Amino acid sequence: MTWVVWRQHRAEGLMLLVVLAVLGVFLLITGLEMANSFQQFRQNHCLGLNSKGSLCDELGMAWNNHYGFLRGAPLLGALPLLLGALVGAPLVTREVEQRTHLLIWTQSITRMRWLTVKLALVLGAGLLASGALLALLSWWNSPSVQIFGDPFGARVYDTSGPVWVATALLALALGMFAGALTRRTVAAIFLTIVLFLAIRAPVEVLWRPNFQTPLTVTYAIDQQNPSALSNQDWIVSQGFIDAQGNRSTNLRGSCTRDETSTRCLQANGVQANYISYQPGDRFWTFQWIETGIYVGFSVLALGASVWLVRRLN
Amino acid sequence: MSTALETTKLSKRYGRTWALQDCTLSLPAGRVAALIGPNGAGKTTLLHLAVGLLEPTAGEVQAFGLSPLRQPGEALPRLGFVAQDTPLYKGFTVAELLTLGRKLNPGFDDALARARMQKLGIPLNRRAGKLSGGQQAQVALVLALAKRPDLLLLDEPLSSLDPLARREFLRTLMDAVAESGLTVLLSSHIIGDLERVCDYLVILSASQVQLAGDMQEIQRTHKRLIGPRQDEAALASVHTVIEASHTDRQTTLLVRTNGPLFAPSWEVQEVSMEDMVLAYLSQQAGDRVQAPPSAREQDGREVFQ
Repeated sequence: MTWVVWRQHRAEGLMLLVVLAVLGVFLLITGLEMANSFQQFRQNHCLGLNSKGSLCDELGMAWNNHYGFLRGAPLLGALPLLLGALVGAPLVTREVEQRTHLLIWTQSITRMRWLTVKLALVLGAGLLASGALLALLSWWNSPSVQIFGDPFGARVYDTSGPVWVATALLALALGMFAGALTRRTVAAIFLTIVLFLAIRAPVEVLWRPNFQTPLTVTYAIDQQNPSALSNQDWIVSQGFIDAQGNRSTNLRGSCTRDETSTRCLQANGVQANYISYQPGDRFWTFQWIETGIYVGFSVLALGASVWLVRRLN
Repeated sequence: MSTALETTKLSKRYGRTWALQDCTLSLPAGRVAALIGPNGAGKTTLLHLAVGLLEPTAGEVQAFGLSPLRQPGEALPRLGFVAQDTPLYKGFTVAELLTLGRKLNPGFDDALARARMQKLGIPLNRRAGKLSGGQQAQVALVLALAKRPDLLLLDEPLSSLDPLARREFLRTLMDAVAESGLTVLLSSHIIGDLERVCDYLVILSASQVQLAGDMQEIQRTHKRLIGPRQDEAALASVHTVIEASHTDRQTTLLVRTNGPLFAPSWEVQEVSMEDMVLAYLSQQAGDRVQAPPSAREQDGREVFQ
């Protein structure tokens, strides 16, 4: 059975390898350059928030000019989804559409064995590929995180921890489920995308900031920034506290142009500023919590796929 | 004689439609059986149930006493199946398909498969998708045969083949039957090509088995009676009238005799297998449309001819 799965999916496997290779070369080249620049930052003591000075500013500007375009790298986030839609979704539908399930399910091995081997190998390959990419991406991300912080920023957070691998697993599992449910490739691809976004978006936007209760710092209204925060922390929300201790993110009134901001805040009854944040040392906790969520959804999707395939006729 | 395939009140429903209803059938081992029925009669459903691709809604199906669904590990190696339109992995070469057969079947006879491919002139390095329809059917058949099954189920294997390919396909099949004595059940909507190769007949129509038995026995017990116009009631009390048609002066009956036939007022003729099958199918068609009896008797024969 292993041979059959390998033979059936070797084209996809090859494609995956090509994508990995191209991406790998790109990451390696840009990564090495960034590592070089990073050395300059370190030699000139330009790491951390309090590193001010014209040389550091210059270095930062040069970095932005060179690597600014890499910050977004939105393509990376789409990779797991592509894997799910192009490899996971057709897994069952292609057999049904070409009616080869009638051939493969009437050999001497049982349908469940067929499915188990197929799932194990395809998921295994997906996890291996995303794991390999993760190792490269973590290395690639580290200079910019050390220089500019923001490890919870979408690109860094999604591509430098187990969440990356779990996302690939989720996409594959959802693809298989969609395929077993719809039995048609086009519908399955569409459903995969919808399901993936329906799980991913709420987790990212609503759930992730509250995996653990955020910490809060308050500081006086004439102060620019609280000194307690580092650039590794994730600011979840910020706003104002009034005399009664209520928090709000918006001012009740508005400021006129010629008021100083301090005066304006006082006029609006603001007693202090606050910042809610997730400290940087929670990074791995958050990674594992989110990994658990995606693995949970994946297990559900895979269980449902098995049930559907068992009943499929 | 042992039984290769046995179904008991086997039923399968899709939504509100019964594809197969209370199908009870016992196919003796060693037979080459034709499963004849019009399109939509439930032939594919029956075959898929027999090989465990489908789960019955009610009833029981067993191959050599094994449930293909509950005991797939034991049952599947003994069953060969060629689905309608003989699906194959189109991107696999013939050699790779044989490898697939070898990897997935403990008893796969690789030497036999290779020998047959050579005999058929099918190149092993050709991709399945590049083969002609007839060759694809042959490859599917050889794959199923090399599994060395005890019961081979074929779903309309001839329907998409030209006459020459049909003959070659049946030759491959009959060679294998002669060598190994396996039981075969193959479905078709016409009896034509199968008459020569089959020795057992199952007629499936309107999701039920209408007739099942030894081909010669069926041939022997079915007669056409022609006589002056008369009522068939007296005859029908002893024998089974499958079909009756009346003209102003003459009555023609197709009967299944249930014992010696004393019919002095009738001229008794042999009936061809094709006519007999058509009579069974049109009888069922008449019942389904619920035509008034007189109209049915007159039109019955025309419906399928």
